[in-house]
Amino acid sequence: MSMSLSRCTRLAALAAALLVTIGPLAPSAGAQEKPRPGGILTWFDYGDPGRLDVHAESPLVVQQATAGVYSGLLHYDPDDPSKIVADLAERWTVSPDGKTYTFHLRKNVKWHDGQPFSSADVKASFDRVLNPDFKSPKCGASLKPMVASVEAVDANTVEFKLKFAAAPFLPSIASAWCRVAAKHILAKYGDLNSAEAQVGTGPFKFKKYERGSVIEWEKNPSYFIPGLPYLDGVKQFILVGGPTQLAAAKASKIMLWDAWPPMRKTQADELARARTDVDIYQAPINTVFFIYLNAKKPPFDNPDLRRAVNLAIDRQELVAKSLEGAGVPCAILDPKLVGDFALPLDEVAKSPGCRQPKEPDIADAKKLVEKHYPNGLDIEVAVRQVGNYVDRGQLVLSQLRKIGIRGTMKTHESAAGYAAFGKGDFTIIATQDRAMDVNEPSGVFHISYTTESGSNYGQYSDPKVDELAERALKESNRDKRKQAYWELQRYLLAKCDHASIAVGWVEGWFFKDKKLRGYKPGLTTYDNNTFMKAWIAQ
Amino acid sequence: MRAALARFVIGQPLGAAGAVVVLVLIVVALAAPALAPHGPKETGFATYVAPSREFPMGTDQVGRDVLSRVIWGARLSLYVGVVSVLFGVTLGALWGAVTGYLGGAADAGSQRVVDILMALPPIILALSLMAALGQSVNNVIVALVILLTPTAARTIRSVALGVSATPFIEAAQAAGASRTRIIFRHLIPNCMASYIVLVTTNISYAIVVEASLSFIGAGAPPDEPSWGGMLTAGIQALETAPWMVFFPGLAISLAVFGLNLLGDSIRDLTDPRLRGGLG
Repeated sequence: MSMSLSRCTRLAALAAALLVTIGPLAPSAGAQEKPRPGGILTWFDYGDPGRLDVHAESPLVVQQATAGVYSGLLHYDPDDPSKIVADLAERWTVSPDGKTYTFHLRKNVKWHDGQPFSSADVKASFDRVLNPDFKSPKCGASLKPMVASVEAVDANTVEFKLKFAAAPFLPSIASAWCRVAAKHILAKYGDLNSAEAQVGTGPFKFKKYERGSVIEWEKNPSYFIPGLPYLDGVKQFILVGGPTQLAAAKASKIMLWDAWPPMRKTQADELARARTDVDIYQAPINTVFFIYLNAKKPPFDNPDLRRAVNLAIDRQELVAKSLEGAGVPCAILDPKLVGDFALPLDEVAKSPGCRQPKEPDIADAKKLVEKHYPNGLDIEVAVRQVGNYVDRGQLVLSQLRKIGIRGTMKTHESAAGYAAFGKGDFTIIATQDRAMDVNEPSGVFHISYTTESGSNYGQYSDPKVDELAERALKESNRDKRKQAYWELQRYLLAKCDHASIAVGWVEGWFFKDKKLRGYKPGLTTYDNNTFMKAWIAQ
Repeated sequence: MRAALARFVIGQPLGAAGAVVVLVLIVVALAAPALAPHGPKETGFATYVAPSREFPMGTDQVGRDVLSRVIWGARLSLYVGVVSVLFGVTLGALWGAVTGYLGGAADAGSQRVVDILMALPPIILALSLMAALGQSVNNVIVALVILLTPTAARTIRSVALGVSATPFIEAAQAAGASRTRIIFRHLIPNCMASYIVLVTTNISYAIVVEASLSFIGAGAPPDEPSWGGMLTAGIQALETAPWMVFFPGLAISLAVFGLNLLGDSIRDLTDPRLRGGLG
């Protein structure tokens, strides 16, 4: 024993000496490290995108599949994702009345097929998303209320005329959904759905899309920022289902998990036991867990039935169980993300449907159902078969049973589900996460609450909501804007019959391989997925 | 009766063990509302609770009692197994017996249909049917009926061909009995032994197919207490909550094992070649 202790002491002394000698020479993981070119970054998409048109689609997988291929006029700074910086635009100016934005474009930028980039491409892209007949659930939905026209002043200058001075304009233009596509590609293919049409100006070229299997990008050697990107390519495996995703993470097949669906605590713990070469962290994902009722079809064309469901849904239980507590139940705006634009959570917690104990709301909901359906009613409850939606759906079914609504679950493949929901082919969608396009209080209202919002799957229209949302959007005084959003939130919570039911803001666990450098998560799950500055340390 | 039972237990000890398992399965299935401590879809408990006195088989990912779901799962499995086999095997048996007796073009034509159906891989066929019909317990039964019918038709046809050539059928024909009378009064009763064996052996097959379809998300809807569906949910948390996989897995194994033992034993008892040896 004494020999053993003595050996330990000597080893400890040796280790300490080595640390003192070598320590200052060892590189730290800080900014002074020199980026190392080369290597392939691996991560995953939760589903198969199917269609790749970044202007016309809304699933995250479409954004992930194409993010590095395109550039925007502006984007969120890869080094500081809270800042908006120039991308294809070198700089921009704003008129004194805040209604005209002029973007001065970079010169000598080439599309991946060698064609020159110009203001005509910018005009063609934004004319496309702003076309009233073109369904653009992300970029179009956020810009249409604000932008009056887009004009190419000359080959390197573009001017956006706004309908009013709008605070969310720049965040919307910088959104990863408002990418600039090539005019000649749009003319050639008509849309951006196919792999062949993925011709951008971004740091990576679109290399391969094997349906249901993998999407690959390769380095664009002619990228307009010299020296970037560092990576040789990015490989995105299409991994459907939690067990497959977690198995890939545990087996070191992926280096990054920083998109939807987040890991749950139990999954993160499992990964931590399997891998020590990763940093695991908890974070919000700027995403709302919604339940949608189809307001155009019975029974939810009836406000009493919509109110019944709004009252009966136990948001706290759903967040506690399906998100393992990682989320903010009931909130329409999350104070962690938009600060005091969000109604104080203690006020939200007292609103109908959110207040605890739950029993009085359930009793009221049951009476509303019985008033129209004395024997209860049977409905089909739709969910996409992604993430843990099936588990969430089962919880929703269980909660609806308490008020006499007997549901049968219908599961959809991811893209098929979106197609069905977009056409209004459902009675109730038990769960659908909607990520914000911009980290801005207007985001959620123009995604799911206003009549024209991109994910208003329930096709619900309340002129008062539209009016309040527009008033808040147009307000340039911060305090007045905050009051306008508080009024809108209070209205929605008190009325309690909207077809879009916010269950809560989603949080979760993510991981990053310790070797991955130069990557910072965006403020929304859509942004900062280009990996233009990412690199892999030895 | 008691003596016959004793003879069965002594002569077929494995069959007797299987019968006990099947009896337990039937009792659990029939008495599920009384035996299950909670509703199978009741989500009011904490998630991932390990087996304890309150929850002997733990709780699952949405806070349901696993024991209650396993008990109700017995009912679902037995319902799917018995109903699909009764319909599928009966339909196939009638098809095989009638066409086998009639012979000629009707027999040849129907056997080609059987060939086509049997050429399709069963799980792929079941998956396609579920995709076309939609996800529900009753549609699982429809898919299983379509799977089981051709096998039963082929088996019973071969038995019917043998029975058709026996002197008592020839005597009935000579006496002027109608085809219908011969088929239903003489032919089918003499195919019953094979029919019973088909029924008992196929129930376990049907239970496994239902569990497989539910496991891959194409069988019973996810909230139904299907053992296969419970396995799927359990796989998501295999390290955290292994009881979610262990107990439904054990239930499937025991049910299939018991039904197979009983089926083998019934086959032995009804097979004249084996019956002599056992005497």
